[in-house]
Amino acid sequence: MLKMHNVMKQLGLRRFGPYLLQIRRAETVAILGPNGVGKSTLLRLLSGAYQPSFGLVCLNDRPLNNWPADTLSQNRAVLNQSQDIVFPLATGLVIGLGRVARAGDAVCNQIVASAAAMLDVSHLLERTVDTLSGGELARVQLARICAQLWDVEDGFILMDEPIAAVDPGLQDLMLETLMRFARIRRHAVVAIVHDINHALRYFSRLILLHTDGQLECVKSGLEAKHALERLYGIRLSCLHDEQGDLIMFPLRRNKSKNSQFF
Amino acid sequence: MKLVFQRYKNPTFFLSLLLVLIFGLCALRSGAVEVNWNHWSKLFAFGHSLLFSEGVTHPLDGETYVLWYLRIPRVLLGVFVGASLGLSGALVQGLFRNPLADPSLLGVTTGAACAAALTIVLISKQSMLFSFEVRVWLLPFVSFMGAFLTCMFLNIGASWLMPGSIAGLLLLGIALNALGVAVIGFCTYLATDEQLRSLSFWTLGSLAGANWTIVPGLGIVLVAVYLWCRTQAQQLNALNLGEATAASLGVLVPRLRWTVSVMVALLAGVSVAFCGVIGFIGLIAPHLARAFVGADMRALLPISMLLGALLMLTADTLARTIVIPAEIPVGIFTALLGGPFLMLLLHTKRHRVE
Repeated sequence: MLKMHNVMKQLGLRRFGPYLLQIRRAETVAILGPNGVGKSTLLRLLSGAYQPSFGLVCLNDRPLNNWPADTLSQNRAVLNQSQDIVFPLATGLVIGLGRVARAGDAVCNQIVASAAAMLDVSHLLERTVDTLSGGELARVQLARICAQLWDVEDGFILMDEPIAAVDPGLQDLMLETLMRFARIRRHAVVAIVHDINHALRYFSRLILLHTDGQLECVKSGLEAKHALERLYGIRLSCLHDEQGDLIMFPLRRNKSKNSQFF
Repeated sequence: MKLVFQRYKNPTFFLSLLLVLIFGLCALRSGAVEVNWNHWSKLFAFGHSLLFSEGVTHPLDGETYVLWYLRIPRVLLGVFVGASLGLSGALVQGLFRNPLADPSLLGVTTGAACAAALTIVLISKQSMLFSFEVRVWLLPFVSFMGAFLTCMFLNIGASWLMPGSIAGLLLLGIALNALGVAVIGFCTYLATDEQLRSLSFWTLGSLAGANWTIVPGLGIVLVAVYLWCRTQAQQLNALNLGEATAASLGVLVPRLRWTVSVMVALLAGVSVAFCGVIGFIGLIAPHLARAFVGADMRALLPISMLLGALLMLTADTLARTIVIPAEIPVGIFTALLGGPFLMLLLHTKRHRVE
């Protein structure tokens, strides 16, 4: 279980938190919120990239900074937002680096091949990353995460906008593959997403980060509608597609409200 | 298994090792004094008599003396210094995640030279107080400390002043470089005539100081650092994915930075201590190596080391044979070789982009 208890973070003059949050094993959680409200900061606190200024983040009842770095990397994987690879490594090596903390890893190459096949990047293994398109690179990075947690269970996958640079068809494919991967191994998935419908379709719980810094947890589904409307200051219309899945669609803003600025 | 054994299958390593050997033999043959196989056999006979019979039976003649006490140490020093510079260049570029980084550009070698210059000017008056051994190893130690402090300052300063900014790191390096050059200039101003002569040796760079005391020392440092680097190559590869990502993969980034800085300072500091500031090789060798074997640190580190040795050997042999019996400062030739190489590299990259 990943637990945050009254965690605060001071960054320059801004203070984030206090956050109170629990993520159970095998749970899928989407973090939503307007730009600049501290979603990435929240995720970095969860991953241990930021030390909290106050409070504790615990993974399985053990504070994150008490975990040895290599053991921690075998229990939680992080996909960061900015992923600039300066020197062009081979794609296969980048995926294999997901397992860099395991010394004498005999199954590494097998797992790299399986992870690449799962995300449909097997044909890219020999190429260097500077020749990949945005969508290919996103899949390679996701394959690295999967290789990292391939042979463990009850892990945690934390992702900061994993599918931002990917076309709609590939977005669905990637999320579906990842969720299947996580379900089989009972990994929890925590991801920052901007698309309301992705959040509704693939995640069981939504964490809404409001402009005033408040955290709100809602169940994914129709009952999240009002909370989402308050979150973004928009009105949503609900539809059901042919398969009966829920779709929420933002309505046009009230014109008279906008026109007072012009 | 393919990914693991890729680097052993790569013929580049053996090819460049072979090239270093061939170039080394050529460098041994060429110079102001003609040396042929006859002198080699004399040298072996001398060594044999030293080892297996009591007392020296036949003393060394002039050419053999030159071969043993001047030529061989000098060629070995060239190989070791070139390898040190190539290896430290690859390490610095990996550590700072920047293809422009290079010990001399970032002020690390200037820091070492600066410390050495201060030592020469301030301490050499008391030099009679120290024994010969202390004097030989004092300068290497001091310039290692200079290089190390510069590395640490870069490490801490850049992440504090401009976090995550590559441009910030380079600017800080340039600022440190300027500072070091100013201190060296001040030392030059203060120095006496005799001190000035040894100072100019540092700032121009030369392999003429080779002898059998320093060559084994540098060799041991180089081999030790290289063996250690081999164990860290995958961690440096992970660092290439970004600092935050490397940390999430279980790499202890602060410790890695710290230890790689020490290694770079060791290589740069020791080679500056023995040969002065020799630029360009630390920048060129990793770029050339990357063109041959790609960016994987496991292959890049040894190849960059060998190519550094090759470049240095060529430059030094040219420097001491073109205007026999005079000698041109080797830094001129490293730049002459390095500049066009880099341009050629950019040219091939341009084609790949198109």
